[in-house]
Amino acid sequence: MSRFYRRRKYCRFTAEKVVEIDYKDLVTLKQYITETGKIVPSRITGTQTHYQRQLAAAIKRARFLALLPYTDQH
Amino acid sequence: MRHYEIVFLVHPDQSPQVPAMIERYRGMIEAEQGKIHRVEDWGRRQLAYPIQKVHKAHYVLMNIECGQSTLNELESAFRFNDAVIRSLTLSRPGPEVEPSIMLKSQDGRDDSRRRDRDMSDDDGDSDSIDNGARV
Repeated sequence: MSRFYRRRKYCRFTAEKVVEIDYKDLVTLKQYITETGKIVPSRITGTQTHYQRQLAAAIKRARFLALLPYTDQH
Repeated sequence: MRHYEIVFLVHPDQSPQVPAMIERYRGMIEAEQGKIHRVEDWGRRQLAYPIQKVHKAHYVLMNIECGQSTLNELESAFRFNDAVIRSLTLSRPGPEVEPSIMLKSQDGRDDSRRRDRDMSDDDGDSDSIDNGARV
């Protein structure tokens, strides 16, 4: 049967050897939330577990400071 | 002495008081031999969601080195200051001196608007001076 060629997922943070994901780096964080404001799962983005945990913490901090929305229904 | 990163949000109506507040906190920290490694004023920013029915707030970031008693004092100052609508304290492994990414990639929409207002103020001043010269 037809086999889709899917572009290989890769972890941007591993590739760039990021030491720590900064909650102030909104440009990066916005790439990992959906339009409804949810955190995109690592199975979709391919982010490594270590970085996905940091990413989740960073997004939650940014949300607390109203830098990012919790949802699109505010 | 530990390193902390503090971000606090000030009510937009109180934002002229921000420099005075920073000085007050600086006094509190330095009274106990603490250090301030970085202070950033991000200015008035649009909030992602309203807090206390306010849609904009004045953000201030401070990276400090202080003891537990100073930190408790600071946090209670935030709690009992009605102008501070939210604050976040994080402990950090070391001092941070370089400007944060927020200043490097500032959207700058509010800043530009404020700059326009300053410009118009300047014009007004120069006009009055011109008038004075003519009289």
